[in-house]
Amino acid sequence: MDAVVQFTSQSQGRDRIFRATQYACALSVYLLRNNSERKDLVAKLKSLETNMSAGRKLFRLGNTINSIEAAKRTMQLSDRVLSLCLTAANANRALYFICDNVLWARNVGLIRDIDKERWSLNASRCYFLSLVTSLTRDVYEVIQLMAQKARDRHFRQKMELHLNESPEVAEAVIPQLDAFLFLLLESLRSHPAVALDMLKNVCDLFIPLDRLGIYQLNAGVVGFCGLLSSVIGIVTLAQPKLRLRP
Amino acid sequence: MESWVRFNSQSQAKERIIRAAQYACTLLGYTLQKGGAAADLLHTVSQLEAHMSLSRKLLRLGNSVEALEAAKRAIHLSDGVLRLCLTISHLNRAMYFACDNILWAGKTGLVPEVDLQKWSQRSFRYYLFTLILNLTRDVYELHLLMDREARYRASKSPPSAQPSPSLSADPPSPAPEALPWLSRQLHLLVTVLYSNPPLLLDLLKTLCDIFIPLDRLGIRPTGSGFVGACGLTSSLLSIATILHPWLKLKP
Repeated sequence: MDAVVQFTSQSQGRDRIFRATQYACALSVYLLRNNSERKDLVAKLKSLETNMSAGRKLFRLGNTINSIEAAKRTMQLSDRVLSLCLTAANANRALYFICDNVLWARNVGLIRDIDKERWSLNASRCYFLSLVTSLTRDVYEVIQLMAQKARDRHFRQKMELHLNESPEVAEAVIPQLDAFLFLLLESLRSHPAVALDMLKNVCDLFIPLDRLGIYQLNAGVVGFCGLLSSVIGIVTLAQPKLRLRP
Repeated sequence: MESWVRFNSQSQAKERIIRAAQYACTLLGYTLQKGGAAADLLHTVSQLEAHMSLSRKLLRLGNSVEALEAAKRAIHLSDGVLRLCLTISHLNRAMYFACDNILWAGKTGLVPEVDLQKWSQRSFRYYLFTLILNLTRDVYELHLLMDREARYRASKSPPSAQPSPSLSADPPSPAPEALPWLSRQLHLLVTVLYSNPPLLLDLLKTLCDIFIPLDRLGIRPTGSGFVGACGLTSSLLSIATILHPWLKLKP
């Protein structure tokens, strides 16, 4: 109970729970769309989803400053590639929040004469760019991990064992590919934070891809990807060891 | 900027800011109405206020658990009066949040059969009980501190003129005695409050807050302008206690 209270006292924790609920509703609406007996349940779920989305837009009003502060911090990192990727990701996220705030103002009626569709597309573009730069950072981290592991003598012995085990059962068709995949999987397994972050970014990526029309998916897949990335977000917040730093 | 990031990361702080904005909208709506503003501007302001109120209800969805945890902690206090006041206050707050959650479910259409008026009245009643208990606790703390201050002053100053030991003397008439006693008490009160900013802040906050349920339950209607001003003041005071944790009254 104490852990739950502490988790929800962080505003990021609550936001992730709301996001998970929002995408769970979207997924459920898609799964129940053809069920004629559950029409009122579907209507309720849609209303819940809209309410969560509207509430989250209000709660995100201050996040531009958070992203700018994060971008200022990541500019000072020693590793150049990491600094570039993270600063670009944070800057794009700040732009996304600005677009999101404008959309909120439009939705509540504070600003009337703006093109909602154009601003929504801009928001999706900024979000897409921030996810692409985050994924670049993930790939860079994985490459570094793999290089580090390949140099490790203990690991090389393990690799030899794996490549030579039971050749009578199945021969590796492309031994180099087998070695590469083994190296990749071992690196990811020893650093779950990188694996989780990569999976989260890949899941998140489908949402703007669908919204921008680059790769159209049905609403169910989008809902599922959103739900999975929210759950991973909740897990990384609850377990700080699984969080990728910086 | 760093302090904003840290402040914003607490979900209670965010809720307080939205509360301040909500009551500012109430006050703004009242002023605009008095000033004769356009109908659609009034409509925008009232719509914004409703949106913030509903979003705050969403943000408060888990607070019953927090209030129950606070009640569990308050049971272990040493002082009997404080223990009673705080435990019952937290329990009432938990009930208020439970009613608030039901209101949220009703307003968003999840449970359409909810009688919004009935549950709204209920939630304001629990809120009023909470505030009355908080006020009782503040007055009790004030009384203790004033007692302590009076004894400290009595021990420091030379013993004043002793009352006449003669039993046949008439008891002094109360009227001439009352005024210096009253002014002494007032002076004590001001000194104690001045040297205890957390108590002063909590007292002011509770007093401002209490007008809101009194107005909404119809016990003492004061109009939306006054309610907006009280709500805004208490939200700002609450934000001050979050920014400077030493200003928060403990326990």
